[in-house]
Amino acid sequence: MHALLALAAQNPGELQAGLTAVGRGIVYGGAAIGPGIGIGIVVGNAITAMARQPEAAGQAQTTMFLGIAFTEALALFGFVLAFIISG
Amino acid sequence: MRTRKALVAVVLGLGALGVMAAPVYAQTSPPTSTVQNTGGQNTGSGTGGETTGATSKPKTTAKECIDKLEHGGKIDDCQKAPSPILPAANELLWGSLAFIILFILLSRLAYPALKKGMDTRAEKIRTSIDEAETARTDAQNVLEEYQRQLADARSESARIIEEARQAADRLRQDLKRQAETEVNELRGRAQEDIQAQVQRAMADLQGRVGELAIELAEKVVERSLDRETNLQLIESYINHVGTR
Amino acid sequence: MHVLALDFPPISHLIRWPTIFGSGVWAVNKVVLEEWLAVILVLWFFYSARKGALVPQGAQNLAEAVVDFVRNNIILQTMGSEGLNWTPFLLTLFTFIFVCNIFEVIPVIQMPVNARMALPFFMTMIVYFIYHFVGLREQGIGAYFKNMLFPPGVPKFLYILVSPIELITYFFTRPLSLAVRLFANMLAGHLLLATFAILTATLAASTYVGAVVPGALLVALYGFEVLVAVLQAFIFTILTAVYIGGSMHPAH
Repeated sequence: MHALLALAAQNPGELQAGLTAVGRGIVYGGAAIGPGIGIGIVVGNAITAMARQPEAAGQAQTTMFLGIAFTEALALFGFVLAFIISG
Repeated sequence: MRTRKALVAVVLGLGALGVMAAPVYAQTSPPTSTVQNTGGQNTGSGTGGETTGATSKPKTTAKECIDKLEHGGKIDDCQKAPSPILPAANELLWGSLAFIILFILLSRLAYPALKKGMDTRAEKIRTSIDEAETARTDAQNVLEEYQRQLADARSESARIIEEARQAADRLRQDLKRQAETEVNELRGRAQEDIQAQVQRAMADLQGRVGELAIELAEKVVERSLDRETNLQLIESYINHVGTR
Repeated sequence: MHVLALDFPPISHLIRWPTIFGSGVWAVNKVVLEEWLAVILVLWFFYSARKGALVPQGAQNLAEAVVDFVRNNIILQTMGSEGLNWTPFLLTLFTFIFVCNIFEVIPVIQMPVNARMALPFFMTMIVYFIYHFVGLREQGIGAYFKNMLFPPGVPKFLYILVSPIELITYFFTRPLSLAVRLFANMLAGHLLLATFAILTATLAASTYVGAVVPGALLVALYGFEVLVAVLQAFIFTILTAVYIGGSMHPAH
């Protein structure tokens, strides 16, 4: 620990760069959790709906894509945020 | 039509924004050595500015740096990697121009032509379906007409046959009755004939019997035979006549 | 100049391309060339289908299928028949975004235009202005904001929660998510493909066997990115239709 701190004190830029990279990873990883579950729920329920009412499959599909798009946006915000974070 | 006007207004507004922005960007002063230095510092990070051509590198980096400075950025901005999130001005300008040109050409030229083609095809198909429908109903009507005529003809022929059969029946009955009466008539007439013949024959016979009796008497008288012979003779004669 | 994707560009040029000619705001780089190419391709596609023959053939068939798709699967499902006036605009959006996206997987181009923020930003701004404009025009300023902030059918006390959310949604989240969704999807796909391509090439140079798995993954991702290119064009267009349709008819 002391050795690490000493290293960091020697080269503050590298510490910053490293922490930035870690932060990016955490941001994107955290942002991907919720939408992952959400997209799973959306697609699963859409498939159930399509299986129950094959005649309304087109409608269900369009709505499913919209639902995926809305949910996925959250993950993509995280993705973009990871780029925005800079040391 | 109003939507189109709205679109044109939006497009013109954004275009004007781009045109007004252009001269600002165009006033780039030639690169200075200080900027070149700052441009050179950042290449090590890997995410920094332009690193391709050795000759073009400082120039373009410098230009972008000056752009940033003119927009009120700090000198630090030159050292940082340009964010991949923010839209680049040149790509934005060219992209908007491309989109606007494409939209105008599509909505003015390509889409109406396509829509016209599709509409005429839809119209054509619709009229074809209508025509087929009317043709079908016509054929249905004709078929029904024929079927009705056929049924009529069938019942007509049945009626004619029935009539003919009745006529034939009547004719046969008539003929039979006629034949029977004729037969009866003939039979009656024949019997009358027979009766008349018998009468005539009896009358004839009676006449002849008289004559013969007289003749016989004459003969008997002439021969003057004995009594027995006379009797014999008379008897045989009478027998003779009786058998006739 | 790495204009054609014949070898790997330096990592700083994966998404940020150097200027080829021109300067300042008129500078032309690879992305700008692709924007031109997209315009030319879309126009050429519809030009080759311009005949309007009664029995369609080839490009005309495809073009009419695209128009039909935009009309039936996007407009009629979200805006109803009165949205058909918007067909040219949505058709332009759909075809342009699709062509710009599909450049991602076209050999020697290998760069989706929408992995740069410029085009998504511009199109989103247009859509943003249009749906507010349409809402104000169709409903009037009072009714538009009333329907936006106080959607009917919500319990009164929930308006404390709903109204700010709706306000943020209409003025901030919608354009942001619309632009970022397209941009981030294409950027992520591009980075993913580049990463796997570099990985495969590096492994193939050192150990031939090691490159098999990432190579196979690369091929699979290629197919997936084609799907994403179509899907993102579709989603951008249908969301535009939903927003404009929602402004034409307030939420039920």
